[in-house]
Amino acid sequence: MINLIEVNKEYQLGKNSSVSAVRGVSLQISPKEFVIIVGRSGSGKTTLLNLSAGLTRPTSGKVMLDGTDLWSLSDRQQSFLRCQKIGFIFQFPSLLPTLTVHENVILPTVFGTKLITAQVSDRAKQLLQKVSLGEKLAAYPRQLSAGQQQRVVIARALMNQPEVLLADEPTSNLDEKTELEIMELFRDLHLSLGITVVMVTHTRQLVSYGTRAIEMSEGRIVNGNK
Amino acid sequence: MNLFQLALKNISGNSFRSGVVSLCALLVAAFALTTTLLMRGAENSLRLAIDRLGADIIVVPAGSEAKIESALLMGVPARFWMPQDNVNKIAVIPGIEAVSPQLYLATLTGADCCSVSDMFMIAYDPQTDFTIQPWLNQKLGNGLRLGEVVGGSYIFATEGVQNIKVFGYLVTLKANLEPTGTGLDQSMFFTFNTAYDIAQKSATQAEEALVIPPDSISAVLVKAAPGSDLYVISAQIMRELPEVTPILSSNMFQSYRQQMTGLLKTILVIMGITLGLSVVLIGLVFSMAANERRKELGVIRALGATRRFVFQSLLMEASLLAFLGGATGIGLAVLSVYLFRKLLIVSLGFPFILPSPAVLLLQISIGLLLALFSVNLAALFPAIKISRQDPAVAMRE
Repeated sequence: MINLIEVNKEYQLGKNSSVSAVRGVSLQISPKEFVIIVGRSGSGKTTLLNLSAGLTRPTSGKVMLDGTDLWSLSDRQQSFLRCQKIGFIFQFPSLLPTLTVHENVILPTVFGTKLITAQVSDRAKQLLQKVSLGEKLAAYPRQLSAGQQQRVVIARALMNQPEVLLADEPTSNLDEKTELEIMELFRDLHLSLGITVVMVTHTRQLVSYGTRAIEMSEGRIVNGNK
Repeated sequence: MNLFQLALKNISGNSFRSGVVSLCALLVAAFALTTTLLMRGAENSLRLAIDRLGADIIVVPAGSEAKIESALLMGVPARFWMPQDNVNKIAVIPGIEAVSPQLYLATLTGADCCSVSDMFMIAYDPQTDFTIQPWLNQKLGNGLRLGEVVGGSYIFATEGVQNIKVFGYLVTLKANLEPTGTGLDQSMFFTFNTAYDIAQKSATQAEEALVIPPDSISAVLVKAAPGSDLYVISAQIMRELPEVTPILSSNMFQSYRQQMTGLLKTILVIMGITLGLSVVLIGLVFSMAANERRKELGVIRALGATRRFVFQSLLMEASLLAFLGGATGIGLAVLSVYLFRKLLIVSLGFPFILPSPAVLLLQISIGLLLALFSVNLAALFPAIKISRQDPAVAMRE
């Protein structure tokens, strides 16, 4: 599914200084896994997730998605692959404020979809029903709670029937009760849809939701399968 | 949902920013269109006036050049005289095909015996005239009879009662000339016979008599033979008659042309500054917007949008705002010029005529394109910068 081979990522801070966010990481994620990556803030978790999705270019090493080197592709090919195979859930509120809930959910289909036009709206409604927001189609993000917004983001991430869900600290802005609800949703999706999930979190208590846990520190994997 | 719908949503999502960009586009388009309408309108007006004259050279008493230009362009009545015999002297000059005299008259100011105050009137000799007579023959089938007149486009009479009072004398309006945008539109044309008849009867019928000095004319219109050198003819006229000034029709209205050129240069400078400032302001607004929406655009990239989509989406927003502002600006410009054209003529001091619908459409298109160009130019750099940004970097705090 996803294969990172000796990946490094350095960010340039100035002319002569840089910081290594990820150092020599090799990681293989198989289909139907629910991998939870834990670590303190600044350990390189988010960067690793971004590398896996092709959202940032590695300084060295390879990022393979279903056997394809992401960075051997053109921007168009890479974007299409990302659109079709990866669903992304962000840490911050990522719904577009000028679009309704329904419009936000169908947004990924604007960039490419296997669905025909007539199916798009129906699928969006089904997904919103699945995340218990079926009655909020016409609402705007500002009219939803943080937990509700995150549910919409999950529905959006599933719109193009991706093979893998990448979630970057999806519950960090939520209260404990809502956090557990979201984690239950992830578990349910993983089991019912057979979707691969890779989730980054700094909350160790959530590790039990996954099938595998990986710990990162200072840009390296220090625990868990590599 | 598509690129266009997404752009519309983004525009409506920030009305202040969209309003600023649209306003800049409005100013650019309105200014560009107003300038071209006025300048082209003035130039066309001058050309129509010269065509209306129909003469290659117009000979007037020396020192009357400015008066004749004011009369023809702005309808300011002019009265000057020279001996009628000048016609015969000019007619024999080599290279001249035809000559025809004219009398320049004017109605009284605020007098009951004149339907219109200070109206410039031109009397022509139907035997020799080569400007109005051919048009009359075509339009009416014959020339004007005694007491009949032809008016410029602004001269009108009550429906069914075609009588206008001139020095207490009732004249019949037979036809109206096409508009020129000049003072000729407010003028009246009639034959020498009608002029003398008016003058004779005004002694008893008008508050003040119309005086035409005996054996006098105001100007001589000259038509040159094909291939003749107009400068040579003019020089010959001045040699034969030192007390007159021959004015080439191509040199007519030079002072107005210079005035227009000066005004055009000023307007172009102002327009250039407006355009430059607009581009800078729009660029700043788009840069701020792109920065503000950095995370949002990073999210869109993460969802599968290509760099090209992000770039096109920003330019689509720019184009929509440019079109909205530009179209509004153009509408306001056309409406203002149309409604206030008379005020513009008076305040600018030169004539102006609205263009034909086809030309107007072309000018509108140019104004709109300029608005589109300036807004897209301003948005180009921010759009390129943000579309090339690493999505992960864009989404970082």
